[in-house]
Amino acid sequence: MMPIWTKSGKKHAVTLLKVQDCHVLRYLSKEESGGKTAKLLVGGKNVSPFFKPESAHQIFKEAGVPRKQKVTTFNVTDDAIIKPGTPLYAAHFRPGQFVDVTAKTIGKGFQGVMKRWGFKGQPASHGQTKTHRRPGAISTNKASKVYRGKKMPGKMGNIYRTSFGLKVWRINTIHDIIYVNGSVPGHTNCLVKVRDSKLPTCKEYNKNPPFPTFFADGDEKLPEDLFDEEIFQFTDPSVTYT
Amino acid sequence: CRASGDGKPAKFQPPPKPVIIDKQKQRTERRFLSPEFIPPRGRTDPLKYYMERKDMIQRRKVFNIPEFYVGSVLAVTTADPYANNKSNRFVGICIQRGGKGLGATFVLRNVIEDQGVEVCYELYSPRIQAIEVLKLEKRLDDNLMYLRDALPEYSTFAVNMKPVPYLDHEEIPVNKLQVRMKPKPWSKRWERPKYNIKGIKFELPESKMKEAQKWSQPWLEFDMLREYDTSKIEEKIWKEVNEGLKK
Repeated sequence: MMPIWTKSGKKHAVTLLKVQDCHVLRYLSKEESGGKTAKLLVGGKNVSPFFKPESAHQIFKEAGVPRKQKVTTFNVTDDAIIKPGTPLYAAHFRPGQFVDVTAKTIGKGFQGVMKRWGFKGQPASHGQTKTHRRPGAISTNKASKVYRGKKMPGKMGNIYRTSFGLKVWRINTIHDIIYVNGSVPGHTNCLVKVRDSKLPTCKEYNKNPPFPTFFADGDEKLPEDLFDEEIFQFTDPSVTYT
Repeated sequence: CRASGDGKPAKFQPPPKPVIIDKQKQRTERRFLSPEFIPPRGRTDPLKYYMERKDMIQRRKVFNIPEFYVGSVLAVTTADPYANNKSNRFVGICIQRGGKGLGATFVLRNVIEDQGVEVCYELYSPRIQAIEVLKLEKRLDDNLMYLRDALPEYSTFAVNMKPVPYLDHEEIPVNKLQVRMKPKPWSKRWERPKYNIKGIKFELPESKMKEAQKWSQPWLEFDMLREYDTSKIEEKIWKEVNEGLKK
């Protein structure tokens, strides 16, 4: 995470996400996948092929791509279908767009009820016998049962969570890095799924994206860094107020 | 003397030119790498620190961040939308330099009209318009937070102080000042060995000093897992930063 300053002098914290060897692996039509829209399977970071059986390499061989560590699905409309085997770059997103980021949260292991659910526990003194971090009562007398989904101690973390509506401030086309506002679930160097935001307030900002994706061998030559309009770029002199 | 053999007259050899040994240049060149360039020990990708360093070098090309240490007196002008001239000048002694990368900060302390004031500035913030070093010197410690519990005379610096001239090739002066403290209680127990403070003149009784040594952890200096040797990393970063600034 890094600080970033706007032209008015305000500071925002930014997370760096690197797009590392992303390729489209397979196209599933609406009937095949059994959903409302067509799906595209996309694979992430390259990994050695020697630790999985041959049957698992089928998809990667068809697409002509080395084995990937993570394979995710994206729901896609019919006009945005991409041929399997095309690489995806960070320039797929542009500064000013809003994005949802999904990842597995940091695993905390088996945790008690105070850390996991934020219960208040019991006082430290004034006669409490061996009861300082316990849940207390778990149901009422009339119910005479414990409801399903009762908050109790258990394994915490290591589940998929999404942060919605994160603004993209900057894109580096050489190293394929996306600078995304705020924090993102997951530990450092973990694998993350970045998607166009589905929030209704962000619809107008997400217009005019590179559609269906940014092709590196195309005609468009992008500069090394793409900045949002409001970012203070370090090539400018210091901010002054009038 | 003409060597025999040829019989011909030897060619005129001019006398050797006098070699001027410049003692100033002979001294090893002082290298100062700002501490925020050195990446902390961790599991982050070095690419992240490389991107941050590029931004830091870019900022340094446009805006000059001078060399300074904890204990030097600085004057910082920032852009302030609510001030009269839209700018704000603060003079103070640097008591601490923290943070790594773009978020590096330094805290300046001064006593203005009998009120101690500390301001924490970010080195790479675009609101900073000028940083001048009024007095470049080092102190015995890396962290001068104990000035909060010292007598106010040690933290007062005139706001219209003239910059003290400093020659380029000399070594940075180390001010071995031993500061006198206000009576206890202090904000932190500065006599304890974990702070390792050498710049205070402790006027406490011997028994108190001995009792403070009970909290000493003499095994810490032999702990190998805590060692972080930055010499090689510093070399690489020094070259990178110099090349970046020359371009």
